[in-house]
Order: sequence, then structure tokens, then C-alpha cells
Amino acid sequence: MVENIVIGIGITAFAGALASVAGAAEDVESDIGSQGDPNSQVQLAPQMGYVHRIFNKAISGEPPAWGLWVALGAGLAAAFLQVNVNPILALALGCVIATLVQGVYATTAYLGRMASLAKFGQPVYIDILKSMTTVTMAHAFIAIFTSVTMCYLMNAALGHPFPLALLGLIWGIALGAAGSATGNPIYGKERQYQSQKFGAGVPVAASGTIVRYAEAGERNSLDNGWFAAKLGGPWSGICFGLIVFLELWRTVLFEPFWAGWGAIFVGLILILIFTFIDRYAEVWARETFGPYAKPEGAAK
Amino acid sequence: MTVTPKPTGGVGMNPVANALSIVLLIAIIGAAWILFGGYTLVFKALIAVILGGALVGFGVHFVPVGGAPAAMGQSPGIATGVAMLAAGAGLAGLFGGAFAAHAKLGLVTSVVAGGIGGALMMAITCLFVTLIYTYGMGIPSASGKVKVDPITGDTQAEYKSQGTEGHGLPFSSFAGGVIGGFLGGLGGTLIYYALLKVYEAKLPALLSASASAVVPVAVSLAGIFAIGMFLVNAVLAAYNITGTTEGFHDPKFARFPRAIIATLAASAVCGIVAILVAAL
Repeated sequence: MVENIVIGIGITAFAGALASVAGAAEDVESDIGSQGDPNSQVQLAPQMGYVHRIFNKAISGEPPAWGLWVALGAGLAAAFLQVNVNPILALALGCVIATLVQGVYATTAYLGRMASLAKFGQPVYIDILKSMTTVTMAHAFIAIFTSVTMCYLMNAALGHPFPLALLGLIWGIALGAAGSATGNPIYGKERQYQSQKFGAGVPVAASGTIVRYAEAGERNSLDNGWFAAKLGGPWSGICFGLIVFLELWRTVLFEPFWAGWGAIFVGLILILIFTFIDRYAEVWARETFGPYAKPEGAAK
Repeated sequence: MTVTPKPTGGVGMNPVANALSIVLLIAIIGAAWILFGGYTLVFKALIAVILGGALVGFGVHFVPVGGAPAAMGQSPGIATGVAMLAAGAGLAGLFGGAFAAHAKLGLVTSVVAGGIGGALMMAITCLFVTLIYTYGMGIPSASGKVKVDPITGDTQAEYKSQGTEGHGLPFSSFAGGVIGGFLGGLGGTLIYYALLKVYEAKLPALLSASASAVVPVAVSLAGIFAIGMFLVNAVLAAYNITGTTEGFHDPKFARFPRAIIATLAASAVCGIVAILVAAL
């Protein structure tokens, strides 16, 4: 009994660590490819006269795209496992094929999106296509492989009833949701609009005027990947890692108590703790950054 | 050149569309009563699926979603799509609910476990949005839709930066996200649990197999249909919201009654198909 719990906690911790790597790689991949919401500005910029060398492979939002790729990797891995391929090899092979599909999507999406902007004078840069696609594929492989391995652990070691492909779909969508929620604002505001004031949102009137020049020469998406890897990626990783770890931890450790209500009670406590931290950060921001204007109705 | 604004839609109800939806709902429930021989397990499952779908549709209206403008700090909310964020939370909840159902913890425990799983996912995600805005971008939260946060009483307008509709996640939006995740997880798990019970009861006869042998098929089928129905209802609710919302204090929240009618009808249609796979 105790041994089972210890193994369960170990697997939970390992799954959380894998999820952290997946979240970080997902955000960097998505920022290099402008997959998330900031792609709207990359698409808009040439229409405002700002021709650029930023890679744009968005074909859908991050959650469905990652749902597809992780489910594909997990489904193929399950198929290889069915024919008695070694599990590690099966997981790696499934993820390699899923990554190739991601590469095909990235290529067609970039060509399609850039070609649609031809009337605004936006060229299709073949060197960008060649150098960026492989980098997004490398990051995608890391995120898909860690996610599929995490799903495999949930299924094979922790005994979750869902088959591997279904777990892949669920956690792929959750990975995309967590990564886009955390990483998008950093890429969208702090990188694309680096020229705007720090500590304020981008005025709507400035939409499309993205920064196009780097420290040396024109900026491309590898520069954006470098930037995302400093803050947006790691925070997305911690976010997704916490989601996976705490979800498993409270289930594995506390579900045996009070006929399942132990895990529910611990979940509730965790939500209250996060609510408290959120409120603290909100108040801290209001007091530290101060109001931008006088409150309505205050004496002038 | 300007971006074409998205259609905003009104709060009003379309009487003909609503009447048609209700007629469709009653017709399906009536047909199920006749087909399945009254108040049986299968009939109860259909009702649970319909209720679960409505819970998902209602829950999506609480989730604060800022879409593309939120990624530039131009509007409050989480920087992703409505349906997909709700799906991320609800499906994380379904994961927990399925775990509890597998451990034979009963309907109420499984469904609440699913709800808490969804709420926990949203609490962590919303917290990281606040942290990244506060400590990564130096931007305080500010609502663009209300002058005062309805829960904390904090004034909002003076924290809004020039030329934006607000930014970050005011506390009410955080609370809305957690409530939305809870309702999504609750609804998704209810759909899953109801379908699982139908498949576990009906598949052994259909496949001429033992009860234990059909469990993996039953779990997979119920899981796939639950995810599918979750997405149907989340997308319907997202169409009702049209674009971005701040949560329950957003004026768009008042549109939820028509989404509930639509999700009841859509869940009835999807639910009867999912049940007929095994029950006829």
C-alpha cells in the first residue's frame, strides 16, 4: 500500500516535470511560428505597410493544433505498442511522425498566409521557410514527446481508464490553452510591440505597427524564440506543469480518503490558495504601478 | 486600413428559433420515452447528457476570454479563444472525473471531482495570466466593461491605459474563470458518466462479450462522445458570446438564456445519437 503510494507520487512528479518541459517548448514553438493570438498582428502588419520577415504558421488556435499533434503522437504510439514495439521506441516513433505532420502544416500555413498578403507587397521568403520550419519542428517534437510520455505514464502506470490517444487529445488541448494564456501576452505585447511604452497596453490605434528590426539587421522569428525562452516559455511550463502535477497529486494521494472527497477537498484548498495569491498580485500591481489617471469624480 | 469589426449580436431572444429548439428537445425526449420504455436507465442517461450539455454552455459564459486583443494588452481576459479555453478546463476536469468514475466512487463524487479538476485548471491558468501581466509586463488589471469590480469594489477606469479597453484579469474575471471551469468539468463529467453507464449495460449483449471485456470499449466510446459533446456546446456558447467577454459582470453574460436553449437542443440531438449507438 505504502509502496504503491510512493510509486504513485514518483510518477506524479515525473509527469509534472515532463509537463513543465512540454509547456515551455510549446510556448517557444508557438512564438517562433506566431501560432497564437499575436499572429493577428503579424498578418495585419503588411496591410498597414509594414512588410516583415516574421514566420507565421497559424492554421488554428494553439489548443486545437496541439490537441491534434499530441493525439496523433499518442495514437501512433498506441498503434506501435499494439504490435509489440518497445514502449520507448513506440513513443519516439509516434512523436516523430506527428512532428512531420506539424512540419507539413507549418509549411502550407506559412506559404498560404504569406501568399495571401502578396497584394500588400509581402514577399514569401524561402530562406525563412527553410530555417524556421525546422526550428519549430524541433520544439514541437520536444513538446509532443514529453506530452505523450506523460499520457503514457497516466495510462500505464497510474491506471487512468482513457486510452492513450484520448489522453493525448485532452492534454494536448489543455497544453495549448495553458501555453497560449500565459505566453501570448509576453510575445504579443513585449516583443511585437517592444517600441511601445512598458507598463501599458498597446493602444488599439497602434495595431499592426510591429517591430521589424533586431539588434543587427531585420528581425526574424528565431529572435522571437530567443526572447520567448527567457520568460514566456518557462512560465508557460510552470503553469502547465502545476496543472498536471497538482491534478495527479491530489488524486493519487487523497482520493482514498473519505470515499473520494479527500481529493475534492484538497482541490478546493488549492483553488483558495491560488485565489489568495492572485488577489495579492492584483493589489500589489495596483499599489506599485499606481493609477494612470485620477479616479472618476475626484477633485481636479 | 481597419480591421472589420466582429458582429456583436443582441441580448434578445429569437422567438421562432427558440420555439423550434424547444419543440425539437421535447420531440427527442418524447421519442426516447417511447423507444426506451419509460423512465429507464437509458432515458435517465439522456436527461443527464442534456443537463450536462446545458451546464457546459452556461459555464463557458463565465470564462474571461480576451482573444487576440488580450495578447497585446488591449482588452481584459485570457489571450485565447473562448471555446478552446473552456475545452481545456472542462476536459482537464473530465480527466479527473473519469479517474473517480473508474475508482467506482459514484455519480455525485465523480461529477464533483470533475468540476473541481476544471476549476483547479482555470485557477492556475488565471493566476499565471495575472502573474505575467503584473511581474512580466508591469501592467495592473483593469476592466473595460464595469467601473467597479463587483466582488472587490476596486475602481477600474483609472488603471486602464490610454487607447485600450482594459487589460489583465480583474478579480471578478478570475472568479468567473474558476466558476466556468467548475461548471464545464461538472457538465463534461456528467455526460461521460451517463454514457458510460449506458454502454456498460448495453454493450455486453451487443458485442456478445462479458461485462468486464467491454469496459475498455465503453470507456473509450463514452470519453470520445463526452469530448465531442463538450466541444459542440462550448462552440455554441462561444458563438453566443461573439468574440471577447470579461465573465459574469460583462453585459454579454445576459445572453446566456438563449445559449442554454440552444445547448439543450444540441445536447438532445447529440445525446440520442450517442445512446442509439449501443441502446437499440
